[in-house]
Amino acid sequence: MKIVHEVLVPLTKIVMDSSALILLAKCGLMGIVCELFEVISPSSVMAEVASKEMIIKYPDAALINELTSKKKIKIQDHKSAGFHLPLSLHKGEKDAILLAMEIKNSIFATDDGKAIKAARFLKIPFIISPKIVIELYKLQKITFKVARESIGKLNTIGRYSPDIIASALVSLMEGENDKTYNHKVT
Amino acid sequence: MTKPTTIRLPEDLLDDIEQFIQELKLDRAAYLREIFRKGFYVDRQDRFLQQYMRGELSQMEVCKALKLDPWQFVSQLKTRGLYLNIELEDLLDSSELPGEI
Repeated sequence: MKIVHEVLVPLTKIVMDSSALILLAKCGLMGIVCELFEVISPSSVMAEVASKEMIIKYPDAALINELTSKKKIKIQDHKSAGFHLPLSLHKGEKDAILLAMEIKNSIFATDDGKAIKAARFLKIPFIISPKIVIELYKLQKITFKVARESIGKLNTIGRYSPDIIASALVSLMEGENDKTYNHKVT
Repeated sequence: MTKPTTIRLPEDLLDDIEQFIQELKLDRAAYLREIFRKGFYVDRQDRFLQQYMRGELSQMEVCKALKLDPWQFVSQLKTRGLYLNIELEDLLDSSELPGEI
């Protein structure tokens, strides 16, 4: 919750699977996303990305573990035992989708095509990491420079197809041009 | 422990292998075992990644099948010149994040 005009406003809830946690951590935006939104992951996802072994091997796994320890990433498990998804997924991905389905008004963050297919089928709102960068920029939470650098990192370390990266950069440029135009007009 | 098996190979391939074994003075059986093992793991990885690319497997399903941790997954794609199995449509259909009220 955050205080806006002395009224408690609930933060937007984002349920993340391992693909989103990993790529957002790698592009350096995990911290700010956790500040602005309520980030939730199932315990199975945390076991996939931030086990003791992985914390030693990968600095970004240690960062995720630290954010979890500080309760910036909340661990929560779904209660939908026995629910069958329309397609097979690994435990963490399945748990994250079921959790997103259970948490009202949450958004499911993933960078996996098959998980997106399941989310579409179940009509769960979803978001991929490049769109999170665009949204952070639109909400003026990061500068154009940071947004562009983050998309650049997602391009090199994230292996998004060139058309996705190009489209994300165009969205950023449009936002920047609109801002410049509005600034000139006012 | 090894077990015997029989396979039929194309003559030209077998000739190339025999010639190579003689040139490098390799142990024939050990060499055949080695290339069989190497070929199998490379082929298995290729096939699982192709299934991923077609959207038939998720990242974590591939990781489990190939005994990879999820942090290694993207580098495997990079090694093979592959991309994430996300389409432009998925970016365009992604939700917007609500700002402050």
